[in-house]
Amino acid sequence: MASLKDLKTRINSVKSTQKITAAMKMVAAAKLRRAQEAAEAGRPYADRMRGVIANLAAKADASSAPALLVGNGKSTTHLLVVVSADRGLCGGFNGSITRQTRTEVARLQGEGKTVKLLMVGRKSADALRREFGDIYIASLEGIQGTSVAFADAADLGETVRSGFENGDFDVCTMIYNKFVNAITQEVKLTQLIPAEVGDAGGDDAGSNYDYEPEEDELLASLLPRIISTQIYSALLESSAAELAARMTAMDNATRNAGDMIDRLTLVFNRTRQAAITNELIEIISGAEAL
Amino acid sequence: MAETTQLELVTPARIMAQKSVQMVVAPGVEGLFGVLPRHAPLLADLTRGIVEVHEDGKVTDRFMIDGGLADVSGESVTILAERAIDLGSADAATLKEKAANANEAEAAFLNAVIEAL
Repeated sequence: MASLKDLKTRINSVKSTQKITAAMKMVAAAKLRRAQEAAEAGRPYADRMRGVIANLAAKADASSAPALLVGNGKSTTHLLVVVSADRGLCGGFNGSITRQTRTEVARLQGEGKTVKLLMVGRKSADALRREFGDIYIASLEGIQGTSVAFADAADLGETVRSGFENGDFDVCTMIYNKFVNAITQEVKLTQLIPAEVGDAGGDDAGSNYDYEPEEDELLASLLPRIISTQIYSALLESSAAELAARMTAMDNATRNAGDMIDRLTLVFNRTRQAAITNELIEIISGAEAL
Repeated sequence: MAETTQLELVTPARIMAQKSVQMVVAPGVEGLFGVLPRHAPLLADLTRGIVEVHEDGKVTDRFMIDGGLADVSGESVTILAERAIDLGSADAATLKEKAANANEAEAAFLNAVIEAL
């Protein structure tokens, strides 16, 4: 049985752990509010952009439209852009991204495709490096998290676009956590290239858009922007989801620490009581023996 | 009540404006164009310039945008801009301060806004 001193030390160490987790929860909650606002405020823009692109893709003529929109006709090499967090201690956040990536890579490789990975965020990159390190084309850190800059998303979009134009890959899909609410995140796969064709054209089917400037010119300036927008919105969602996951995880940890302190205190008191009883018995039997 | 079209001005950060208006004038890359209700569907690239909102025959709002995209249909105008500032509520002094701290592209836009004020 553990001595009183050991128990005391353990209780104190759990107490300081609890203080840390409680503080981390508080920090995550405060940052979450801002990140959530940013993610929700960014949704209309991304949604409208997606609407426009779905419309365009649905109407595009496969032979003449730019490859970014309709693809280059092949699907042998896939690029997965994996968005995870730079920091841990956020529950299943990074784990679910890692798992999804592993499944997706296995599925694509099973179909005989070549897969390349572009890792955003340190955690999943580290977790998968041993298995898939040889198919990483880049691993980026520090662009998501508490504040996401549009410029970073634009740079990443540019990397993806130039990679596509150099023929490094044919299809590009992004894997990230979407923020649903403070306790739920959803792993989403969004195809960036070629653009996903929505069920567009429903409302004003048959109406042909006028373009200003000419269609090709307009698409050439528009498509890179759309890719950046989608990446930006994914990064915003991911950072809100990360903070939400961290808040929930730290809340649980704080509660568990509380439970553990209760249990340890009970054991501590019992042990102390047993020691006192023991001493009393020794004194009494000593006195009786005289 | 005259016929109206539904205007939406959206940036990555928020929805700047959302209302029924009589006419919108937007800065296309090939020149300014006005959009009235029942305009033919149009997808236009926008350049840096001022979006004017007309209601009751008067200009009611002016927004400076830093390029973007206008998606026009018969009953709505959606303007997607990476940066936009409401000229009605902007103030040159605070913008100048922001421009001093901003990166190159942002500062160029803010200076254009200050000039337009």
